Amino acid sequence: MNKKRLGSVALAAAFLLPSLATLGGCGGSDTIVLRVYNWEEYIDEGGKGTFIYDELHELDDEGDPVTDENGNHVHIHSDIVDEDYKAWYETAMGQPLSEEGPRLLDDFCLWYEKTYGQPIRVEYSTFGTNEDMYNEIILGNEYDLLCPSDYMIMKLAAEGRLEKYDESFFDESIPENYYVRNVSPFIADKFENNAGLAIRKDDAGEEIYWKDYAAGYMWGTTGFVYNPAAMDGKLEEFLEECDWEIFTNEQVAGRITAKDNVRDTYFAALGVTYQQEAHNQADSLAALKAQYDAGELTPAAYTEAITRIFNATDDETISLVEPRLMDIKKNIFSFETDTGKADMVAGKIWLNYAWSGDAVYAIDLAESGVDEDGKASETAFLNYYVPKTGTNLFFDGWVMPKGANKQAAQAFVNFLSMPQNAMRNSYYIAYTSVIAGEEQEMLDYADYLYGYYPEDEFEEGEGYEEPVDYDLTYFFYGENYGDDVSPILLPAEPEQATSRQLYAQFPPEEVIARCAVMDYYDKEASERINELWSRVKSETLDAWAIIVIIVTVLVIVALIVYLKFGDKVDFFRAKPKKGYKLVKQVDPDRM
Amino acid sequence: MKIPRFSRKTLCIPYAVFLIFFVIVPMLVIFFYAFTDSNMHLSFNNFVKFFSDPTKLSTIVYSLVIALITTVICLVIAYPVAYILARSTMKRKFVILMLFVLPMWINFVLRVNALRELFNLLSSLDGMAWLAGSNYFKTVFGMVYDFLPFMILPLYTTMLKIDPSLYEASADLGASGFATFTRVTIPLSVPGIMSGVTMVALPSMTNYVVSDMLGNAKVTIIGKFISDYFGNDWHMGSMIALILLIVVFVSTWFTGGFKSEENVRGTSL
Repeated sequence: MNKKRLGSVALAAAFLLPSLATLGGCGGSDTIVLRVYNWEEYIDEGGKGTFIYDELHELDDEGDPVTDENGNHVHIHSDIVDEDYKAWYETAMGQPLSEEGPRLLDDFCLWYEKTYGQPIRVEYSTFGTNEDMYNEIILGNEYDLLCPSDYMIMKLAAEGRLEKYDESFFDESIPENYYVRNVSPFIADKFENNAGLAIRKDDAGEEIYWKDYAAGYMWGTTGFVYNPAAMDGKLEEFLEECDWEIFTNEQVAGRITAKDNVRDTYFAALGVTYQQEAHNQADSLAALKAQYDAGELTPAAYTEAITRIFNATDDETISLVEPRLMDIKKNIFSFETDTGKADMVAGKIWLNYAWSGDAVYAIDLAESGVDEDGKASETAFLNYYVPKTGTNLFFDGWVMPKGANKQAAQAFVNFLSMPQNAMRNSYYIAYTSVIAGEEQEMLDYADYLYGYYPEDEFEEGEGYEEPVDYDLTYFFYGENYGDDVSPILLPAEPEQATSRQLYAQFPPEEVIARCAVMDYYDKEASERINELWSRVKSETLDAWAIIVIIVTVLVIVALIVYLKFGDKVDFFRAKPKKGYKLVKQVDPDRM
Repeated sequence: MKIPRFSRKTLCIPYAVFLIFFVIVPMLVIFFYAFTDSNMHLSFNNFVKFFSDPTKLSTIVYSLVIALITTVICLVIAYPVAYILARSTMKRKFVILMLFVLPMWINFVLRVNALRELFNLLSSLDGMAWLAGSNYFKTVFGMVYDFLPFMILPLYTTMLKIDPSLYEASADLGASGFATFTRVTIPLSVPGIMSGVTMVALPSMTNYVVSDMLGNAKVTIIGKFISDYFGNDWHMGSMIALILLIVVFVSTWFTGGFKSEENVRGTSL
């Protein structure tokens, strides 16, 4: 009886719980669920620090909103979030724009229901590394949309785990196809022609095209965030002289960081290894660069050669890279994933090997004069440097795993591709969106954030510098734009154009030319590289030391066994005298 | 309405379910992964590879050494504290005990972060610059800081239980204070030492939050090693986890951790 009742209570609870969960979410039974698996902190999450909030609230020096006597926010004039923007928002989402900074995911639900007439709910979860995400997929977790990086996209595609995008997704005549109409031709060209990207074949031996499986989200380069005030102001010069080899230079010992993941640090070590010496490659990075600068190499051939070097995983290369990695480990302050930004701003380190988005974040933070906790920062200015002999160009893109709800997933990608939304994301996470905008809206955004101030905004012209024309034609028209295109030139401060946020967010074409995109490692290469990484991260003792220690431990264990159980084991005890018999001893403790 | 009566067996069910799903099943999964290759075929390859790779053996050795140093320092600090507290006739000694336990109420990641900031501050002082690069020192310091309460508490509870008349008897029989300490206090506090050592040594082999944050990720202990492998190669990661499990099991066995009485003391926190 009792058991039965207990069982029925448990059963009732089991049935009730899921229905409670549905009640907690929005919408009824016909609500579509879109399961999105994205990087941590990789979408506009609303509130303070968002584009809309910051644009509509004047902030004082402490970062708090300025209010009038009645405690109301003081509204400032914004060039982008203006009346047009608000009107657009109201039309798209069906409700007026909240000045507190709406969440982009909430906006998507509103937009979707308004556009397609069906309620939708987003189940949003996040991952920390590509490998974590891959493991989740392998374990059979189901999602509709993932946001892996370049090499992981290719790996998933080659393993046949992805759905292709629909033909109709690329039809520019459909009004909801925001992605295809707004994406930068530079990115679209890379995805369409696999230009400069690793090309793999699927099981049927067909070449895989990026465009079929991935829509871009964010992109960027890797390079060094550096403190120009370090080394008595000579760090910039020194960095240009050393390039990749700065990693192993003793003058910056303990003042530089590397990434705590094998992909990025192995990449950097390849840079160190091949910067001057060709080793088993045809040419060194520096020689390739010289040939390219002299016009002896076509851009395509140059990119191909660099890509080959930065994706080498053969045994010979690994044996060359390993001592370099050890040198790097000895020289750096730390392996880090997150702490580098704070350490830079605090002035503890001079150089931080970083992704461009993180670099922008650190530069912004230093510029604001406070560190992450709001304390006064030691560093006023940070700059960004891209190794001149070649570096990494990365993309994060949206892909749909097999079995995904393609319609909703593609709608989500399109929603994020509206320039107004791309700005919000880009502002919030500091990375560069792949979106250029039909009307080149992202140029307005870049101009608004990083463009030069007109001369009359400087007091008596103090600190005013002649702006330079920053060429972004490639981003808005593709790398092979014709002569009929009038170049897109953004007037910018000279510093912005060479070493600061603008340079990091929208690298100039000459930086793009020397960038390699990562390829994924196949099974054997992956094993070799992982073993290499474990050797680098750990201290390896000499074989004799290990033997001595293991023997010592065994001896101690044997001794303890003997002392503890010796009197209980016949073997260790004296043989009984003739005529006596050994009897089982009773443990006095147990009596 | 009859009030339902729970027998002992029924009361065990929640824990049994927990045990099965969160201890036994994961252990079996680890075992399964450790002895299979990526095609899910039976393979002893990882086992052989582990014992033929000096890097992996070295990492185990380094972890053991770090754990050993941490434990010894904890013991040296904790023993006098526990002794004085247990024997003192102070009225409010629980306040002092509280001071040692209090930090454990704050999340330990926060405390390690605070310690990191403290080290940053110290290393910016003149003559303290060596601190920035001494990753092993900072790692051990962090471990000691973290696990000290786990050493003090079992020692304290054990010593509290020692009958004071034993000390009196010892004095009556002419033993000096030192002799009483070595011949009465220490032998009787061995169970406390054992559970303290177990509770400090084992986590300090695997707690890689400390080695990552204070050792700048340049110190790799076995926990971090396993986590790194789980990013790419679950089979090797499982094998290392399994071997660690065996090391822990064997050491617990030898320190008497499986005897029921001492075990209880360890969990009296």
